[in-house]
Amino acid sequence: MIDGARTLLPELRERVRRIERPAATAHGVSPFGVAAIDQTLPGGGLARGALHEIMGMGGDEEDGALAAAFAATIIGRLAASPTSPSHEGMVLWCLLRLDLYGPGLAAHGLDPERVVLVRTSRDAEILWAMEEGLRSPGIVAAVGEVGTLPAVASRRLQLAAERSGVTAFLLRRWREGGQAVRERALPNAAMTRWRVAALPSQPFRGEPGVGRLRWRIDLLRCRGGEPGCWEMEVPDATGHVSLAAALADRPAAPVAPEKLRRTG
Amino acid sequence: MPLADALSFVPGLATALAEPAEDAAALQRLAEWCGRYSPWTAPDEADGVRVEITGSAHLWGGERALAADLTARLVRRGVASRVAIADTIGAAWATARFAHAGDNIVILPSGELSAALAPLPVEALRLDPITVQGLRRVGLKQVGDLYAMPRDTLARRFGETVARRLDQALDYMPEPLSPLGEAPSRRVRLSFAEPITEPADLMRATERLTADLVQRLAREGTGARRLDLAFLRVDGRAERIRLGTARPSRDPRHLAALFKERLDTIDPCLGVEDMILAAFAVEPLPPEQIGLPGHAASVETRGIAPLLDRLGNKLGLDALSRLEARESHIPERASVRVPAGLPSPPSLRSGPSPTLRERGDPARSAGWMRAKPPRPIRLFDPPEPVEAFWLLPDDPPFRFTWRRRRHRMTRADGPERIADEWWQPGGSGAADAIRDYYRVEDEEGRRFWLFRSGFHGGDRAPRWFVHGVFS
Repeated sequence: MIDGARTLLPELRERVRRIERPAATAHGVSPFGVAAIDQTLPGGGLARGALHEIMGMGGDEEDGALAAAFAATIIGRLAASPTSPSHEGMVLWCLLRLDLYGPGLAAHGLDPERVVLVRTSRDAEILWAMEEGLRSPGIVAAVGEVGTLPAVASRRLQLAAERSGVTAFLLRRWREGGQAVRERALPNAAMTRWRVAALPSQPFRGEPGVGRLRWRIDLLRCRGGEPGCWEMEVPDATGHVSLAAALADRPAAPVAPEKLRRTG
Repeated sequence: MPLADALSFVPGLATALAEPAEDAAALQRLAEWCGRYSPWTAPDEADGVRVEITGSAHLWGGERALAADLTARLVRRGVASRVAIADTIGAAWATARFAHAGDNIVILPSGELSAALAPLPVEALRLDPITVQGLRRVGLKQVGDLYAMPRDTLARRFGETVARRLDQALDYMPEPLSPLGEAPSRRVRLSFAEPITEPADLMRATERLTADLVQRLAREGTGARRLDLAFLRVDGRAERIRLGTARPSRDPRHLAALFKERLDTIDPCLGVEDMILAAFAVEPLPPEQIGLPGHAASVETRGIAPLLDRLGNKLGLDALSRLEARESHIPERASVRVPAGLPSPPSLRSGPSPTLRERGDPARSAGWMRAKPPRPIRLFDPPEPVEAFWLLPDDPPFRFTWRRRRHRMTRADGPERIADEWWQPGGSGAADAIRDYYRVEDEEGRRFWLFRSGFHGGDRAPRWFVHGVFS
């Protein structure tokens, strides 16, 4: 009787979770490998077959470098794990300006030869191309760099991702402040909403020069989970990037930068 | 006769400005419309159209039926015409313009060219007026008079054009017809008794045409790479949808879907009476293994080629590209964009493809990881100039202004010197070609890839640029 209860309880929990959050992790998850983040996300990792939104902060809103790097690390892990249904597929990357650099992608764990670049002239075309990619076999992830995102379009992308199991990423890039303010406030149907900001680097073993990369990663919104904020160290000594041990898991208090000397 | 004289003869004469360009364009459209009978059509000077109907006349029930259909449709359009069908272009041209026949359709029986052409005047040989005048002056007024003349005498006296035109008309010398545009490899046509305008009907017709074409391609074991679907409208204009595919295809659903996406660009106006689907480039395509019903076809067999087709046909094939590594120190040459779809990317190759790089496996994709100093994830082409301030010649700037924002440097790495590759053609060793790269971090933590172009102490101050942004 007790044995039955032991197996029955987890089963019931799973069923309740599935009722509460339908289709949240129907296609599985891709864990970050960092306990602090994985515990916050429902299912223990980033949901596959869903739409995720990544924003930058400050000047990065225009360049989208950190957002692209964050997406590259996630997709690199996604594409490498053999359990995803189309893990041998390509990555569709849709953008307005061709400024994505292959060696930079490789440094973050995404093989550039798996990327198909689609260059369009309008945001609406990017969203259309992403939707086509989400419905196609042979694609493991679709990335789109958009400025304006109508809520209806985000809903369509989320539904298409759920149906096919392909993970979709929206990188938000804005050229002007007014548009940024407007778009940031708009809600959309993404499963998770991230914001990545740069932090002053930590000197590497006391040596002068640019130290270890540090990012502040904010999970602004997560369907079925709690928001959170982490500071991550991104070692690039070997060129491979993995989200190593979190330095701290504390709310977003601004870190006062030490007075840094010019390198001599 | 000048216009003034004509007006004096007939005071109420209706006049209109001549518009030769519009007339030529209208003739071109008419020649395109005649494509419903055969793909080999061309405008003929200013007032005629040539159509090569060898091999297509039987589709209309014979030459006379084809000519009758043509004349009737032209009459409906308000165009008066005379149709002549003959073995050669020269004979048809001559008969259409100079034969005294009661009705508008003249068909010269095969093999009776010389008898039919003999009574026609020499103008019927497409000669210039001076030559015609010369021929008439010596008493050669009809084509039949020229038959007996020796060719070399004619050539000596009047130039070799006369002999050539005569030989072309009598089929002693070939004269091919150069058609408008490219000749298609395969063509299927659908004509409607009543002109159709509804998009649903157009789509159904497209699907039928695609199915017919695919059947023919399947019999031959080929696939189409370029397709042209022409809609011939009632008013004589033709609308077209042109498609290209990344790989030869004979999947009717895929091709019909590609057409369907562009169908809303077609304006049927008063109605479409014919649709012609032509395949221009066909390539051999072996039979494919399809999946059993209930099992999706594997990724290797389908791949992303249909997706590339859809994206490429809507956005243009040059919107798609892939990244390939190149051996080069120069950053913008180390990674190049190649058109997507060639050669087949790893996921499209059949057989076990190598899985994505394992962590810590440097042998895989070595071409990308060769650059030990870290490279940015965004690279600007061309590099963007910045205003920079520095203290000592070899120092990175302690302050710089980029895109109207000021950045203060807190940490920096460098310099990494990258010079132009003098061993490449077009490479120079000039001072401007040498760049010193610095990885600069500002007070917020953002990292930029700056370089200085040119040296201090030269005749020009060195310039600073932002080449990329790190993550």
